[in-house]
Amino acid sequence: MSESDMLARVKERLRAVLRRSAQTSAVERLLISTAALGLAVLVGTVLILVSGRMTTCTTAAATYFGVGFCYDPVTVFDRLFLGALGDPMNPLFRPLHGEFAPPFRKGWSPFNAAMAVTLRETTVLVFTGLSVALAFRAGVFNIGTQGQLVAGALASALGLLVLAPIVPGGAVGAVLLVPAGLCIGAVAGGLYGAIPGVLKAYADANEVITTIMLNFVAAQFALYLVSNHFQRPGSQVVETVPLPDVGTIPSVVFDPRTNFSLLALAIAIGFGGVIYYLLQYTTMGYELRTSGLQPAGAEFGGVKTKRTIIASLTLSGALGGLGGAMYVMMILGNFQTGVPSYGFDGITVAILAGNNPLGVLFAAPLFGIIKSGSIVIDTATSMPPQLVDVLRGLIVLFVAMPEFFRLIGRRAIADEPSVPNGGDEDA
Amino acid sequence: MRELPSLGRKTLGGVVVLALVGGVLSGFVDKNALSSTLRLSVPIAFAALGGIFAEKSGVINIGLEGHLIISAFVGIYATNLTGNVWIGFAAGVLASTLFAVVFAIVCLEFRADQIIAGLAVWLVALGLAPFLSTVIYESVNAGSAGFDPITIPGLSEIPVLGALFDAKPPVYLMLLAVVGSWYVLNYTAFGRWVHASGENPQALDTAGVSVKRVRYASVLLSGVLAGIGGASLSLSLGEFSGNGQTMVDGRGFIAIVVYLLGNYNPIGTFLSTTLFAGLQTAQIQLQSGYLPSSLVQTIPYITVIIVLAGVGRTRTPDAAGDHYESGEE
Repeated sequence: MSESDMLARVKERLRAVLRRSAQTSAVERLLISTAALGLAVLVGTVLILVSGRMTTCTTAAATYFGVGFCYDPVTVFDRLFLGALGDPMNPLFRPLHGEFAPPFRKGWSPFNAAMAVTLRETTVLVFTGLSVALAFRAGVFNIGTQGQLVAGALASALGLLVLAPIVPGGAVGAVLLVPAGLCIGAVAGGLYGAIPGVLKAYADANEVITTIMLNFVAAQFALYLVSNHFQRPGSQVVETVPLPDVGTIPSVVFDPRTNFSLLALAIAIGFGGVIYYLLQYTTMGYELRTSGLQPAGAEFGGVKTKRTIIASLTLSGALGGLGGAMYVMMILGNFQTGVPSYGFDGITVAILAGNNPLGVLFAAPLFGIIKSGSIVIDTATSMPPQLVDVLRGLIVLFVAMPEFFRLIGRRAIADEPSVPNGGDEDA
Repeated sequence: MRELPSLGRKTLGGVVVLALVGGVLSGFVDKNALSSTLRLSVPIAFAALGGIFAEKSGVINIGLEGHLIISAFVGIYATNLTGNVWIGFAAGVLASTLFAVVFAIVCLEFRADQIIAGLAVWLVALGLAPFLSTVIYESVNAGSAGFDPITIPGLSEIPVLGALFDAKPPVYLMLLAVVGSWYVLNYTAFGRWVHASGENPQALDTAGVSVKRVRYASVLLSGVLAGIGGASLSLSLGEFSGNGQTMVDGRGFIAIVVYLLGNYNPIGTFLSTTLFAGLQTAQIQLQSGYLPSSLVQTIPYITVIIVLAGVGRTRTPDAAGDHYESGEE
């Protein structure tokens, strides 16, 4: 057999693998993610009840089975999910009781403040989710999106502070500065992501460890740079001076005080489509996906593995950096240390989405709700908002064990058709 | 593939040199520095020993950080509940072991991706410990009684090396565990099974030993050892702090680098642990100097990256990360 025949066969085999994995995933992925989410809420409920017995309170928040609990899981999850949307439900809308009032509460507007928080968190999470998903698809475990986001956030803030005095004010300035800030964030995040990429490709250094270490380095370095060189005078926290207004992303429809811009969300959604197209329909995407599924086969089939590793981590880092730039230019308006864990949440979003860029567009709002809801929980209940971090871990854990749900699924389905045969054969 | 044992020897030689350099850096001439190096070694060394057992058996436990976090918190909580440091210590170890049970079931029964399941263990602990601390103490930080040092009269008077005989119980436990793990892995049937389970599970299966059982035992052992590390960390100080990445602050991930560098050998692993702990000791001394502390604090993390890149391809067990299905089910 000639070498070109061999290559053709290897390539055909790789395509078959890609097709199979795409077919089995779609519906099953959705079912598993939904089940994992449900199970996480269930375990979360138990945790809320148990922790409600571990703490002390003067009046019980809820009583179940004659036992009083300090936290009520119904209230907690109600605040978590509905509070994050600005309480859309009409209390008179109770279809189970035959009362069909309009489902949405009077005076509820989808452009409310809680919704703005949910959507602005969603915007950043789309970027970090895409960042993690892209790397995972290429078989690279980029746990460093957090660090890449910090690098992008810091660079775009400092870059904008340098550029602002040079460009004119008004609309012209904004048209120049906003894209510039986003580009600086993407480049900084991309370069920071390229470091573990080069180390993996040329020195075989495990990317899980190097990216986690680089997260620590980024946080410390940002602390050093801001506190020693760019500290805002007189401020109690470690932060830079505020960015000029022309360097921030203007809000659309929503109240400017909510720090949310529909424009930013639209850009994020656009990136979801771009990354999907890149993975699905370009040569580069094909190379990324095959390296993720069958590294040895991909290399034999002519994929330059080293280049692919570096490219995937650089792109992944650039997406993380863009998320950081959005965080600075839309939410904060300057750079502060103690950046929220968007990068780690991105892992959950990506895993929940089955590492599919379009799936990320659905998983990110869900997680945006949870993040925004945790703020509502903090003000409306005595429940510590760290509960949300536990839920994040549980979701990853449950999505990681699809066999568990397949087993349950098979049992549930197998019960019915086996009846005509007179029951179990190997019993 | 076969020339790898020599790479192992080379790595080990490198580790010894590095450990000596680290030792000199931290100032082996100083009893306090050695004492601090040993104390800082404890959580990393225990987590690394645990990681060796799990990974040698074929299960990569990347969630060691999570085991350290949960045992550190539970150790403090249970000490406060019972008023006894040793009961608190045992409870911390138990909590970490329970996490290992869940991790083992998820990986061995439900064939989860070991890396993602390990990350999940870390993320759950990272959320759960500060959450429980806030529920119980209304703060992410909590304090309790801690271990008292044990000073061996006479021996503790020796210059410099006297630090070995004037320490808190976890330091003595660590020295025992290093030698014990080395003995178990090299000179017992269980050690051979662990090795075979990671290198050639089919052969172990053929020999009539259940691969699954060996892997369960190894993963649980990694939970116990990492639990000792975490409970030692918090109970040596008598406090748990849960801000940001918690007081564990990446030690579980450093532990993974440490055993890779030590080539899965407990003795080599301990030597490379002292390198990192020595660096931390040096870092504490540098902080009082002219370098900004935020930059000095990046030194251990950057060292991990450089070392990992320098060691390059580590010889991981052949079957590590793969699920093994016994033929006769």
